[in-house]
Amino acid sequence: MVNLSTILSVINDFSKKHGYPFPVPEKEIYSWAEKFSLPRKGEVILYTGGLYQLVPYIEPLVELLEKRSSLLKLGKVTLALSSLAKTVLRPREDLRKFSRSVLENIVKLLISSNINIAFLYEKELYNGALLYDFGLDETFSEHINKVYKVLKESGAKKVITVDPHSTNILRSIAPKYVENYDLEVKSYLEVLAERLDEGVLRPKRSINERLVIHDPCLYARFENIIEEPRRLLEEAGYTVLEPPNSRRLTYCCGGLLESVAPGLAKGVASARISELKSVSSNIVTLCPICFANLRRVAPKDVKIGDISEYLARAYL
Amino acid sequence: MSIKRVRIRFEDVLENILNVMKDEEFQKGVQVSVRNFEVKVREVLKNHPEIERLAEEVREIKKKVLENLDEYLEMAINSMKRIGAQVYVAETADDAREIVGKIVGTNKLVVMSKSMIAEELGLREHLEDIGNEVWETDLGQFLVQLEKGKPMHPIAPAIHISRKRAARLLRERLGIEVSETEKVENIVKRVREFLRTKIKNADVGISGANSIAADTGAIFLVENEGNIRLVTGLPPKHIVVTGIEKIVPSMLDAFKTIMVQAANIAIYPPTYIDIIAGPSSTADIEQQRVFGAQGPVELYVVLVDNGRRRALSNEFLREQLRCLKCGRCLMECPVWRITANVWGGPVYGGPMGINWTAITIGEEEASELAHLCLLCGRCTEVCPMDIPLHEMIRHLKHVYNRKHNILK
Repeated sequence: MVNLSTILSVINDFSKKHGYPFPVPEKEIYSWAEKFSLPRKGEVILYTGGLYQLVPYIEPLVELLEKRSSLLKLGKVTLALSSLAKTVLRPREDLRKFSRSVLENIVKLLISSNINIAFLYEKELYNGALLYDFGLDETFSEHINKVYKVLKESGAKKVITVDPHSTNILRSIAPKYVENYDLEVKSYLEVLAERLDEGVLRPKRSINERLVIHDPCLYARFENIIEEPRRLLEEAGYTVLEPPNSRRLTYCCGGLLESVAPGLAKGVASARISELKSVSSNIVTLCPICFANLRRVAPKDVKIGDISEYLARAYL
Repeated sequence: MSIKRVRIRFEDVLENILNVMKDEEFQKGVQVSVRNFEVKVREVLKNHPEIERLAEEVREIKKKVLENLDEYLEMAINSMKRIGAQVYVAETADDAREIVGKIVGTNKLVVMSKSMIAEELGLREHLEDIGNEVWETDLGQFLVQLEKGKPMHPIAPAIHISRKRAARLLRERLGIEVSETEKVENIVKRVREFLRTKIKNADVGISGANSIAADTGAIFLVENEGNIRLVTGLPPKHIVVTGIEKIVPSMLDAFKTIMVQAANIAIYPPTYIDIIAGPSSTADIEQQRVFGAQGPVELYVVLVDNGRRRALSNEFLREQLRCLKCGRCLMECPVWRITANVWGGPVYGGPMGINWTAITIGEEEASELAHLCLLCGRCTEVCPMDIPLHEMIRHLKHVYNRKHNILK
């Protein structure tokens, strides 16, 4: 097992040096958006926070750290870090495909809702969620100020986020760390739901399908994004079923523990999967971390998909 | 033994957790209890919407007291003295053990009703060490005593012990013949028979307190088993050991507090509410007041600080002092549902436990537990006292990072 201090040091030091918590090819963060040729500046900016793009690298990272644990045990963190910086992590190909298709679908959904978005491309930065969640406060503070600066320099007044972590960090956490913080932050699900209510976004086809919704903790308990995903799905014909423990009482996927205590994380994810499965084996997630964690323990007959896939099928 | 010297290491905690994850009996015990509890507590709170309103009042009551704790402490002490109790304030766990040890003496038979603060102080072990016979009378806590273990939940201490394990403990530790397929009713009956003799002959009864009214010095206790009434009623000496954060301004406030606690434990209405305001007495002969009628002759109250007043000046930890120790946060915590009190500290467990460990032992020790928290916020969501539990634990992660020089 990898030593906790080592994992924390790697995430902390790597973020400080490279802006990302572990080695990922930089291009990976924005190459998916090249085909859209979005403007690089604008008042409304789509911000991915790099989370969907990072998820395919988490498991390979933990495996790599485990392999090198003897080196890391000796406390040679600096040495390990420099060798890690040269390492090319091989992403989980299925997750990589998943992430890119989710992000593409989100852009298409926003465009078809007549929202003009800009995207930072090479300047897109990590949202810093791991730094905050692991209590790496000083590094987080430095990092989030950089994120804010880049967004402001690109003309941002409003930011549209694609996942619960970026939404929570930019909307509720960053204002405590950035002076004179001035950004309107909305999740793309909130934006789409608004457009649905205004009649701008309309389903192209009705899909007669039953599914169970897994609310991410951050959307449901901290950002009050509960009705929007349900409304978007139901308007498209889906029957949305509630698992035991949903909405504000939703049950965690085990996410944050996947690197510090993978066995325990799996235990939490399994408990949640059995709750979800007791209602339907068609599970919709709203967060890449939930997706990866639940899928890792899900039995074969269970289908897990990101909400953007379900929306794309009906609205695009 | 001194709990202060306990060292907590993240690696040991994780190893213990991975071990109980493999213990099927343990996992089954915890999961069955949690599922039953979840249904029950939601039902109680749905059927009694007044509890949410009461909880709001209690939150304000607690805030008021914590802003003027010294004042209310003094008021409570004076009130208790007025009603004939002997009152002590113990600054540290060592002080508390010494005070109780002196009141009890040696070669005594002592019966205890379950109290988390007694666990915090290591009181049972201390009284045994100085030559007393000591028995827990709450069934779950009694089984934990036989197991020489740690309560796995503040209200349901034997949440991890199945009927099979219970029967085995009775047979192996006390020679009471019960088979492993025995009905639960019969196990309970055998324990009752054993403990009745002890309670009847006890020299001293020790209890905690769920709430204390500063205006009158009245002590409030909630229970289902009926053991508290016996422990606090039959022996000639009754000692109350409790934390200073249990003080509220009035009897009415104390009543509201225990109702909120009982509902969040899903025992509603509680079978018994005990209110004790002084030793027993009678003035039936010539109107002359004589102490010691049917109840205890002497009542002692030991008010324990053990880090609580220090916590008042810590912006994170002070929030935890509103805690009713109902344990609702544990039952709803995805990690606790796997680990029970194996995670949380040497005495307390789960989200509230980590913070109580920080208060009673130290922030740096408690910080070793923090990195196993998901920060999912279910604990904060259900806490009837609106304690930002997960935010405090995130603060402890930062403490860990500083302690281990990660932020450099």
